[in-house]
Amino acid sequence: MVSSSLSSKRYTYIHESGSETRRGAIDIHHVIINRSRSTGYARLMGLAFFLVILGVSMYSFIEKDNPVRTLSWSCLLSGFFVVIQSRKLVKKESVIIMPTFGIQIETQYLSGKTVSRFIPIDKILKPMLVECVTPVTCYWSLSLFLRGEEQLTLVFKELRPSLKMLVPIWKALCTVISTDQSEIITEEKHVVSG
Amino acid sequence: MAEPKLRVLMVSDFFFPNFGGVENHIYYLSQCLLNLGHKVVVMTHAYGNRSGVRYMTGGLKVYYVPWRPFTMQNTFPTVYGTLPIVRTILKRERITVVHGHQAFSTLCHEALMHARTMGYRVVFTDHSLYGFADVGSIHMNKVLQFTLADIDQAICVSHTSKENTVLRSGLAPGKVFMIPNAVDTAMFKPADVRPSSDDVITIVVISRLVYRKGADLLVEVIPEVCRLYPNVRFVVGGDGPKHVRLEEMREKHSLQDRVEMLGAVPHSRVRSVLVTGHIFLNSSLTEAFCIAILEAASCGLLTVSTRVGGVLPDDMVVLAEPDPDDMVRAIEKAISILPSINPEEMHNRMKKLYSWQDVAKRTEIVYDRALKCSNRNLLERLSRFLSCGAWAGKVFCMVMIIDYLLWRLLQLLQPDDDIEEAPDINFCN
Repeated sequence: MVSSSLSSKRYTYIHESGSETRRGAIDIHHVIINRSRSTGYARLMGLAFFLVILGVSMYSFIEKDNPVRTLSWSCLLSGFFVVIQSRKLVKKESVIIMPTFGIQIETQYLSGKTVSRFIPIDKILKPMLVECVTPVTCYWSLSLFLRGEEQLTLVFKELRPSLKMLVPIWKALCTVISTDQSEIITEEKHVVSG
Repeated sequence: MAEPKLRVLMVSDFFFPNFGGVENHIYYLSQCLLNLGHKVVVMTHAYGNRSGVRYMTGGLKVYYVPWRPFTMQNTFPTVYGTLPIVRTILKRERITVVHGHQAFSTLCHEALMHARTMGYRVVFTDHSLYGFADVGSIHMNKVLQFTLADIDQAICVSHTSKENTVLRSGLAPGKVFMIPNAVDTAMFKPADVRPSSDDVITIVVISRLVYRKGADLLVEVIPEVCRLYPNVRFVVGGDGPKHVRLEEMREKHSLQDRVEMLGAVPHSRVRSVLVTGHIFLNSSLTEAFCIAILEAASCGLLTVSTRVGGVLPDDMVVLAEPDPDDMVRAIEKAISILPSINPEEMHNRMKKLYSWQDVAKRTEIVYDRALKCSNRNLLERLSRFLSCGAWAGKVFCMVMIIDYLLWRLLQLLQPDDDIEEAPDINFCN
């Protein structure tokens, strides 16, 4: 059941929760790229065409004798580039929160492939919203601080949804983690006193 | 919390964890502006592992942008490479004024150029004096001329510095404000119990032992003073290439028990060294603003100094020409007026004269003046560059036109609405 959704120019955020609002219901958050299957391929084709033209014009300045050979090499290389890049086209990324059990992070590609990773609940120390700075831009990302790992784990590896979409997911994660951690503390108190 | 009145972006290659005068200045000024209710964000390059967004005291947000520094902590100058990240930061933080620091910082020049292209108000502060004659200075002065041709307001830290900046860049003197640096009087306090000046008078010198700081003068002055006054001893803190000359001087005149060499003194320990003395000696040949003499005066020491930028009241300093005989005469005068000095009273006067809160208020006035400047369109701005020189003017115009076109291209590829604004995070004090 879709309980809320947010839409921006590039991404759509959909929140599905269980039909009853009881503790232990599975929470699913999706972030979907707003583009049809064809737009992604069209962009790559356009880029490949540009590369072919560039290759031909570059070679025609350097090697004037055999334009057919350079054209065929350019087409081959650009075709290769299209195939490689199309595997990376993402359709949707999801976070499935299973309270007291763990979370599953899934990435679904346009080619139909799905990559998923399961993280048990006791491995997560804290979810956090981090500002990532690159040499050309700065964006918000949701990361997990995991026990025993030095690097933060990104929840959304390929997509960059806006802060408005990340905040409800972060809050849901915090609630689940804090419930789990307070249960652990209560259990430990029982063990100590009992 | 109320909406901040001004949103300032401080840009410089020089910021903490690097340590120095410019870094200190940016930090203290930012803290005082935050206290006045403005929002301040600092942009600098990444230092080793320290990259990304960090928050400092009072909610000061620092962007350590991962551009590799290439020489003397300066970012590699790519002219247009920093345009995307500068645009992103300006839009995210909803900046109104961009304040660049230090003429030697490439990141500062690039950021100011991009900010001007995008129509933001721009202020520049120059912290150092530079020459005119050598190749490096000539090129840097040309770059400075380019940046300052289109600036809204400029700030210099002393009258000496203002003269130097105006001559180097051809900027109209009316646009340059003079706001002196301040000193952290809370940190530099006199000793609770002043060392007695009856038996031994201690003269403290703390500076880098390089030519520009007058280390050669020290080599002449110290033996002469030791000969004239048997009860004077020297404490020399700092390190540098001229260290060897001072050691030789000690050996030659057998002054090992009267001249103590401390080596490099970390800034946190400077105060503890200063309070052991009665007189502070500064022999710099040239300095835009000598904070060292302010720190010494704040600790209650009488200062003997060459005529450098940075003013102390007449009764707190004895000035001298950068000539050994004149400096010895000045030290003699200082020793004679030493009994009338009251360290606590000096410290209190320094607190009133040089405070960072005062600097922040004066800087606020400069920002307000900058905001009132009218926004010129591209063609009017290009005409300012043409006056920079026969060839240089045309080159500068080309650079600005390409910057403008690149900015428009970026707006097509990533529209302004796509850049998400960062929320202001309030830290409760």
